[in-house]
Amino acid sequence: MPGPIPSYLHALKRQLWLRGMFDSDVLAEVESHLLESVEAGLLLGLTVQEAEQRALDRFGSAKLVARTFEKERRDGMQKMLFALAVLMGILIAFVDSRPTWDDTGITAGMMLLSSGLFTLLGHRRPWLIALAVGLWTPLYETYLSGNFRLPGVILLPLFILLITFVGAYAGWAVRLGIRKTFHVAS
Amino acid sequence: MIGEALKGHLDLLLLTILSDGPAHGYAVIESLRARSAGVFDLAEGTIYPALHRLENQGLLLSQWSEDSPRRKRVYQLTPKGQEALKAHHAEWLKFSKAINTTVGI
Repeated sequence: MPGPIPSYLHALKRQLWLRGMFDSDVLAEVESHLLESVEAGLLLGLTVQEAEQRALDRFGSAKLVARTFEKERRDGMQKMLFALAVLMGILIAFVDSRPTWDDTGITAGMMLLSSGLFTLLGHRRPWLIALAVGLWTPLYETYLSGNFRLPGVILLPLFILLITFVGAYAGWAVRLGIRKTFHVAS
Repeated sequence: MIGEALKGHLDLLLLTILSDGPAHGYAVIESLRARSAGVFDLAEGTIYPALHRLENQGLLLSQWSEDSPRRKRVYQLTPKGQEALKAHHAEWLKFSKAINTTVGI
């Protein structure tokens, strides 16, 4: 069974990952801090268990720390990328709805690439970008056709969201890979 | 109460501590605690996001130090950070003077 520090780091990793903010540098920095804090506790005469508990109590819960990271990083860039993703989703839905437009492959490609682009550019929540890009076309299609019957009303959104989710998570993974490579190189 | 009040002035405190010279997160937090005689006692983990934000804003620069047995991420003030510190300092003087005058201290 892992000790309290590795368990805490695992919990923090999970909390950061859930918020689309996993960063190995953050975990390394937190680990370094906690170990130094444990050493300080040992110098005060505490047992290892007491020193580890003291270090974790003073650091704050994994959820609190991850939430604070999220709050601090929720900057203008994130909002701008989200707004652009919504606009792109609406634009794709509009183009796709034109009577003269008959190329489903290009529509799907545009969705895949634009979802990937926004997460590659730095949006930290791939699922949000996937929804922002992919929700408009099925909504528009359903509204225009007036067809609310199963299974079409479920299958079309699922198919489109599958494309945007793949695109968004692919862009996010590429970005993580680039960051990792850069850090290794530096 | 103190924790909430402190958050609004965290940038000033962190930049002030780092104006004394480069330091890693643990040292910054210890310094914050020591200088305030334990009054400023935030959850330590909530200081790192603020340090990272200041770095993203170009006010701090960080690099991993391999000097000690354990790797440490050391932060230092940039020229832009020094300018920001002066601005925060001036703001704080104005603010605290206004509060003191209002409450009659």
